[in-house]
Parts: sequence; C-alpha cells; structure tokens
Amino acid sequence: MLHPSLFLLLSAWLFVVGAVGVLVRRNPLVVFMCVELMLNAGNLALMTFARIHRNMEGQVFTLVVIAVAASEVVVGLALIVAIYKSGRKMDIDELSELRG
Amino acid sequence: MLTFFFALVFALSATSAVGVVASRRPLYAALSLVVNMLSLALLFILLSGQFLAAAQVIVYAGAVMVLFVFVIALLNPLRDEGPGGDPRQTLIAVLIGAGMVGAAAVAFLGGGLGSEFSSQDSIAGGAQLGSIQAMGSALYRDFALPVEATALVLVVAAVGAVYLSRGK
Repeated sequence: MLHPSLFLLLSAWLFVVGAVGVLVRRNPLVVFMCVELMLNAGNLALMTFARIHRNMEGQVFTLVVIAVAASEVVVGLALIVAIYKSGRKMDIDELSELRG
Repeated sequence: MLTFFFALVFALSATSAVGVVASRRPLYAALSLVVNMLSLALLFILLSGQFLAAAQVIVYAGAVMVLFVFVIALLNPLRDEGPGGDPRQTLIAVLIGAGMVGAAAVAFLGGGLGSEFSSQDSIAGGAQLGSIQAMGSALYRDFALPVEATALVLVVAAVGAVYLSRGK
C-alpha cells in the first residue's frame, strides 16, 4: 500500500487545492492558510523522495521549509494586523496599492 | 491494518485540505488546517521521518496555527465570506486546478503504481533513516551552513514582525 506514487499524488492534490484557494478566497488570512497548505504539499513530496532514495537530504530540506514557513507566517500576520490597524477593509481585491 | 490506516489518513488529509478552502469562517479553515497538518505528521511517520513528524506537530500544528488562531481572535472577522466572489474567477481557478490534478495523476500513476517501499531503510553509515541520529548528523555535518542561514532567516523575520507591529 505504501506506494510512492500515492504519496506524490496526495502531494499534488494538496498543492492544487491550496493554489485554487489562493486564487479564489479574498480574506488575506485564509489566503495565508492556503499558502501553508501548498508549503506542506511540497514538504510531503520532499519526504517521499527522501524515502525513495533513502537519504536524509529531503528531510533536511523539509526542516528548512518548515522554518521558512514559520518566518513567513510571522511576517505575514504582522502585515495583516498592520493593515487591520490602518482601518482598511480585509479584502485581497481591495488592497491593490502595489498594483503596477 | 497498515493499509486501512494509510487509507484513513490519506482521505483525512485530502478532505481537510478542501475544508481549508471551502469553509466560510476563517476559524473553521484554521481548524481544518490543523487536522491537515496532523494527518501529514502521521504520513511523515509512515515515510520514516519520525523527527520531522514531531517537528510538524510542534512547529506547524502548535506554534504556527496558534498564531493564526490568535490573529483570528484579535481581528474577529465576523463577515461570513465564502469562496464566492466573481463566479467566473472561481470557475477558471477550479478548471485550472482540475487540469493540474489530472496531469499529476497521469504523470504519477501512468506507469503503474511502482514498487512499494522496502522495509529495509537504513542509510549509509548505519543509522536509521529519519532517526534523530541521522537527522543530527545530516544537519550539523553536511548542512551546517544552511542551518546557520535558517537561523538568520528566523531572526530577520522576528525583527521584521516587531518593526511592523510597533506602536506609533
């Protein structure tokens, strides 16, 4: 039952669901959660490949991804709180000051 | 028994991911994400990553999600906002997603399921794959510089968060 293909397929599914969430949802908090989902999908793929090749590199990458995701959440949530304090509406489509 | 357990965790992970995207309230999305991360930790154990399963539970399901729930409680987004919005946008996103999943299924399952994992899983040097010994030796012997760089990233992120949330 422990086929590598099934793990990779689950990883692709999680990534795509997260990507659709980023495209569809408008609350910045939920968009951040969907980004976390995509990072987790990448982690699952890395762990699967580490298991297939039986070495530790993939697991070290996973640990680094977890650390980077934690930093990203810290900065992102600080940004969201700053946006909230500035009194703007919490909507991705409204927050378009950076549009080129 | 293991097959049943795997199928259960697999289904839990796949459905809770949909729950993150489809739930109306941000708090329910956060709780779905906690379930998803815990099920991924179980899958990490099946992939013989014991240390990273613990890290997943402690860092993701613990620290990161507590931060999310704190911010949700602080901002209290009462407005029920589903995944609605522009229906055309939603339709295009779902179609692109279905296409990507289909492509991944063809790529991963096209050549059959492939061989199962072998039960023998020790790495070169004798330590068991994913054990704390193998992890420590990989982190501090082969990847010492990336570990230090990760520490720098975490410090910069903490300083940035303090700067962004400082009072006027």
